[in-house]
Amino acid sequence: MEQYDILIIGGGAAGISAAKAAKGAQVLLVDRKNALGGVLLQCTHQGFGKNKSGIEYAADLIKDFPQEVSLTLNTTVLSISKDRTALLSGKEFGLREIRFSQLILATGCREIPMGALPIAGTRPKGVYTAGQMQAMMNLHGHTPEGPVVILGSGDLGLIMAKQLAQAGLAVTLVEKKDHCGGMIKNQRCLKEFPIRLICGDTITEVHGYPQISGCTTAKGITIPCSTLLIAAGLVPERELIFGMEKYDWLHICGNCNTVHPMVEAVINEGKLSGVAACNNLRGSL
Amino acid sequence: MKRFDAVVIGGGILGCFVARNLRRWNISTLLVEKEGDVCTGITRANSAIVYAGYDNKPGSSKAEMTVRGNANMDSLCEELEVPFSRCGSLLVTYDVSSVPKLERKLENGRQNGVAGMRMLTGEEAEAMEPMLKKGIAAAVYAPSTGTVNPWQLGIAAYENAVQNGAQVSLNTSVNGIRREDSGYILLTSGESIACKVVINCAGLYADQLQQLLFPPSTRLKLDGAEYLVLDPLARKPEHIIFHQADSCGKGITAIPCVEGNLLISGVRKDLTVPFATTAEGLEELYADTHRLLPELDTSMVIRSFGAVRPNPYRESGESIPDFCVENPAPGFYSLIGIKTPGLTCSNELGLALGEKAAAFLQAEKNICFNPHRKAIEKKKEDPDYCQILCQCERITKGEIMEAIRRGATTVDGVKRRVGSGMGRCQGSRCTWEIEKLLEENGHGAI
Repeated sequence: MEQYDILIIGGGAAGISAAKAAKGAQVLLVDRKNALGGVLLQCTHQGFGKNKSGIEYAADLIKDFPQEVSLTLNTTVLSISKDRTALLSGKEFGLREIRFSQLILATGCREIPMGALPIAGTRPKGVYTAGQMQAMMNLHGHTPEGPVVILGSGDLGLIMAKQLAQAGLAVTLVEKKDHCGGMIKNQRCLKEFPIRLICGDTITEVHGYPQISGCTTAKGITIPCSTLLIAAGLVPERELIFGMEKYDWLHICGNCNTVHPMVEAVINEGKLSGVAACNNLRGSL
Repeated sequence: MKRFDAVVIGGGILGCFVARNLRRWNISTLLVEKEGDVCTGITRANSAIVYAGYDNKPGSSKAEMTVRGNANMDSLCEELEVPFSRCGSLLVTYDVSSVPKLERKLENGRQNGVAGMRMLTGEEAEAMEPMLKKGIAAAVYAPSTGTVNPWQLGIAAYENAVQNGAQVSLNTSVNGIRREDSGYILLTSGESIACKVVINCAGLYADQLQQLLFPPSTRLKLDGAEYLVLDPLARKPEHIIFHQADSCGKGITAIPCVEGNLLISGVRKDLTVPFATTAEGLEELYADTHRLLPELDTSMVIRSFGAVRPNPYRESGESIPDFCVENPAPGFYSLIGIKTPGLTCSNELGLALGEKAAAFLQAEKNICFNPHRKAIEKKKEDPDYCQILCQCERITKGEIMEAIRRGATTVDGVKRRVGSGMGRCQGSRCTWEIEKLLEENGHGAI
């Protein structure tokens, strides 16, 4: 069985910076996509580092990616065992079991889908998560049909509101809290574009079948729409290590540790995990 | 005009099993379905329970068929390579005054021949299912109750019917039926079809379908219920839990499904929009769930949906408790209002209809009939079977391609065949790629 000092799962900002920090160790980095960069690759908007887009920021990160790190793309980690083996599945290598000393989990987060929310009604087409739509638009050139309703005015909700308004679509944001949820810089789009913001309310029902035709809020406002985006929050993606959280060979960093609004914090955590994994390796020698 | 010995109208699980069992005989068979795929109606939103058979009145055909369908489920699922879990069930009550109701069920079960049932004390039930709210008055344990995925079973029957020579006409609705000396002419949205036997399995529309030619003596009233689906990682009961309506709640059901998800079914109520949930219904379901299973982590709910059930009643308004097959004219059979335990009895009903049609047509046994159907494989040496497209449910490109080869034309069709998009992200990460694969294989744009 192949043996690595450190297995890094996830090649986004956290995984890349962990790989850079793990100097001198034998490292394998696995990512399910065909390129390094993670969610940054679907972010065309400015706001990373010194006003770069996510794509540009990822390109900078990857520039000095260490040659000595083994990289396996298009590969999913199916399972992690307590005996420190991992089962990998990918189209190039097929099923592959490897052994590791240290594990760095940098799997990022996923979005809360509509199904998880107490939203009544039919289950029509035209409902997406905000990040799903971001990928459809920015990676695949898709444009949704307007008008669009976005549930949640956090950063992702605002970023999508801006992009859709820029594309000329009518956008309504619905926010459960009594004020807009995102960072100030992301709230600017509310002044620049005719985006409707409804605060202190939430979507309780969707209408239409097979295509969505509108949604109704808790306060009884019905908003016609052809597309509904759910931007109701992000959940750290940690199911792979379910029940193994206590092991000292496991290092969790980036958005799978806790969801960070800024990429710098993700990079910092990745670095710390890389260093911690190396220190553990030295300690065990 | 195409001619068949028998035409089955409606490709739900029932129609699929009728078609399968017609092919046990030398009966040329056509399955007609108005949608572009099978198992898209009642079958896709169902409690997934294989009942033991203690709910039904002794002597009724439901009682007899349920016990038989339950007993035969292992071999049926082996033949069709569909996962089946005989997890057993507990019917619990928190009110001493409801205990006689439980005793009657136990007695029903005894008379119906349900094996292994027994009455448990509250303590015994609580020890068996520690997640249940304490204070159980009594419980009926039925070890033979089980669960199977309804659309997987239906699609397996469909594939087996086709593999045995049944023909299929999808996207075809029946708009009129004419009676002729030689049998029936079906006027459809496509070509007209001539046949000697018509088997009406039109589910929610079965009464309307019969109305095209004969006034049905059975009518349908639809009701609905809300359901919750939990992440497989959520801690859950091991048995199916039926809660007898009492002071602790209106009586929900919790089903640990074969896929590992817990499914929670709410109480039936009048229907507003078919397959839609209502805000009040969901709120009630969450509340009832918290009451019955206080430790259940409902933050791990990944989906809610609405189901529809067709309830048969007579013109007089009286509801019909048993299965009934209407036979208004020779060669015309209508399955109107086949509800719970329809899933349990689907193959049994199919067998019964196959025999009726064979007797009518004086058909011989089909000696080539092969009851075995192969499931879509999970792992292969093929690199496509190592490329994971659905990250949550670990579904590979190879499986998805095979689902498309077997007739899936939509993302939902793929989902029903291999389970992609059923997981905790609810398809938000794989839908695009699956749509692309469907497009590449000639199945429409988004």
